[in-house]
Amino acid sequence: MSCLPFAGIHVLDFTWYAVGPVTTKYLADYGADVVRIESAARPDGLRLAPPWKDAQPGINNSQFFASFNTSKRGLALDMSKPRAREIFLKMLPWADVVTESFTPKTLRNWGLDFDSLRAIKPDLIMLSTCMQGQTGPHRDYPGFGNLMAALSGFYHVSGYSEAEPCPPYGAYTDFIAPRFAACALIAALDYRRRTGKGQYIDMAQYEASLHNLAPMLVDYFATGRVLGPVGNRSERYAPHGAYRCADEDGHERWIAIAVADDREWRALLEVMGNPPTDARFATMLGRFRDRAALDDLVGAMVRTRGADELTAALQAAGVSAYPVQNCMDLHRDENLEAFGFWQWLDHKEMGPSPYEGLEHRMSRTPGALRRPAPTLGQHSDEVLGEILGMEPAEIEELKREKVIY
Amino acid sequence: MRSELLNGMRMLDLSDERGALCGKIFADMGAEVIKVEPPQGCATRKIPPFLDDEPGADRGLYFLAYQAGKRSITLNLESADGRDLLKQLVTRADFLVEAFPLGHLEALGLGYETLAALNPRLIHATITPFGDQGPGKDYKAADIVSWASGGAMFLMGQEGMPPVQMSVPQAWLHAGAEAAVASMIAHYPRQVDGLGQHIVVNAQACVVWTLMNEQAMPLLHGDYLRRSGVFTGAIGGRRKTVYQCRDGHVSFLIAGGAYFNSTNAVIAWMKEEGMAPDWLAAAGGLKTLTPSGFMAASAADLKELDDAEEAVQRFFLTKTKKELWQNILKRRLFGAPVANAADIAADPQLKARDYFVTVDHAGLDRSFTMPGAFAKMSETPVGPQGAAPQLGQHNHEIYGGLLELSQNEIVELRAAGVI
Repeated sequence: MSCLPFAGIHVLDFTWYAVGPVTTKYLADYGADVVRIESAARPDGLRLAPPWKDAQPGINNSQFFASFNTSKRGLALDMSKPRAREIFLKMLPWADVVTESFTPKTLRNWGLDFDSLRAIKPDLIMLSTCMQGQTGPHRDYPGFGNLMAALSGFYHVSGYSEAEPCPPYGAYTDFIAPRFAACALIAALDYRRRTGKGQYIDMAQYEASLHNLAPMLVDYFATGRVLGPVGNRSERYAPHGAYRCADEDGHERWIAIAVADDREWRALLEVMGNPPTDARFATMLGRFRDRAALDDLVGAMVRTRGADELTAALQAAGVSAYPVQNCMDLHRDENLEAFGFWQWLDHKEMGPSPYEGLEHRMSRTPGALRRPAPTLGQHSDEVLGEILGMEPAEIEELKREKVIY
Repeated sequence: MRSELLNGMRMLDLSDERGALCGKIFADMGAEVIKVEPPQGCATRKIPPFLDDEPGADRGLYFLAYQAGKRSITLNLESADGRDLLKQLVTRADFLVEAFPLGHLEALGLGYETLAALNPRLIHATITPFGDQGPGKDYKAADIVSWASGGAMFLMGQEGMPPVQMSVPQAWLHAGAEAAVASMIAHYPRQVDGLGQHIVVNAQACVVWTLMNEQAMPLLHGDYLRRSGVFTGAIGGRRKTVYQCRDGHVSFLIAGGAYFNSTNAVIAWMKEEGMAPDWLAAAGGLKTLTPSGFMAASAADLKELDDAEEAVQRFFLTKTKKELWQNILKRRLFGAPVANAADIAADPQLKARDYFVTVDHAGLDRSFTMPGAFAKMSETPVGPQGAAPQLGQHNHEIYGGLLELSQNEIVELRAAGVI
């Protein structure tokens, strides 16, 4: 028997794109049997997005999809067909958890909303995650995490000035919500084990993500102050920012530095060979008072240094610093390497492919990327045979009718 | 009222900003979270900005937001008696989260092995900047340094300008939330077999996980992405993602694929208002975009898209954020206002869902409104359980109640500088 935490937990997973799949990935990598239900008519949008294996587009060739769907099985059902919905309902008693991330009306239109499912499976746990929640005037707003990042305030507080926001990369809020959703889901499983009660989790990506801007909102409600972008400025550290180092192989390299007190400032100057500096920078107050000149000074000092060598020297002197890494640097990073972060899994069609590993490690029940992501419908036969005892002939017939793939 | 979700569970939070959100999530889920602070107070009490810009141990906005609903005790781990008290607390705890430099707790005789021998059920999460194995395991990392180490900072900012952080630092929030998930994962089997474990969270890896798989690009497509301000450079050409409007900015993207209908809908709206240039009105749409393609690529295609962006920009400049948002909702455009705190506070959607929660802070004689439930749970509602504690506010309750020390003993501990 597997000793993984969620061995024996069954999940029917309708989610797509990022928030839902990254959430159920936590369960899958820790032993739950997560069956991704996808439609060939309307596949997960990440299957249609790069990066692709060998830069070649293809429904089973997206690493974007693959990275978010490890350890899961794939079942392809065309849910717009009544027989597909019948198959889903027959599978329902097998499931402990159902997850979905459509706009709210989709499951209602299929007759598969929580109340309908609970009538069949009274202790069901169901997670619905969409942009703005299942209720309220904006519940049917469709969108992606990049838009949600604008709506929930992240764009406004990013950049050098209010004149031009510099947004965080990509669908930022897609990578905040999953951790909140996973906590809720696992706690709901624990609650059900204690009480026998299932429940419905209505998770708005918007509402979860605002927790990452909570101080700004507490401030606004208490004092009316509207926080704007402050560039790399900090009220705690000086210097604090990204400074350009020597280029390497024609690529620009930067280092992030944050100096917390005067002792660290002296240590930084020591690493730089104690160049002549303005005496007013000796104290934090002096450094706060002319951040622009301070940034120029630090920028000039580090411009000829190598980002890696300088990081090692500053850290050895007790100063917080690290290269501002690009996506290639991440693959050469010794610390990620030592953590065992990057993993190559042998995908059915993509072959050996680079997956991001877990962001934590456990001593007793370590999780793992137990298998690469499924191709579309890779486990349809296996899942329907196992869960419903469906005979191969029946499966073939349903495939001919394009109910399953 | 305390959420039933984790009611009865107790977490000792010895962390600082690196783990504050972990304990906050547990408190929101109904656990009793005891913030164990050094006698001078947790470092998070000193994080600016402060309420009304007046510094004070209870007035930091970070502290008010992320320590809400926790209890505070003071405990001097530098003293042997303080370490004994911590051991007594550990025997009564289910979870512990900390973010000390590696080896610090071991040096105090309070390492995981020691604590687990006292309480085998303990789930102990250690939050680190770079893991506990590599050459950087003892490195220091301010939030901006972790943001840089995980690749997020390189992608933010304009070409020719330095990479830029988010003005509300984010890296350690991801690490704290990750510690909460991992602790919950470990909790699930522990409630059956009674065995806890040690968790090491890696903040650098948490930041990598925000990159939307861009990190695989260099390996599969041969190059890495550069920061490009408000442009997205996904495929075939850069497209603008932020437009100016009358009173601010709005996020919008002209593209095919998933954005195809939305692009056509904005052109239709411009035509309705006579703001579509003749070439665009006559063409009836952008000929280079298709419902299946994300972006088009030839030079002529890019010229057409650039011209369209310019026309849309002129149009949006005649609208306010609010007008644009109303039309985004009505016309089902893929767009969103670049909202600020005031916009969010006034959002009718959040109002309709009773999202924001107000808690009373007795010490400051003031109430604070803050983000509410991170999810709506039908059987076990979650959300803030109260205001952030004052330093040592719960010493009597915890030392007297939980550890059953007498009033005299507490007075002695205080006199001896232990609490």
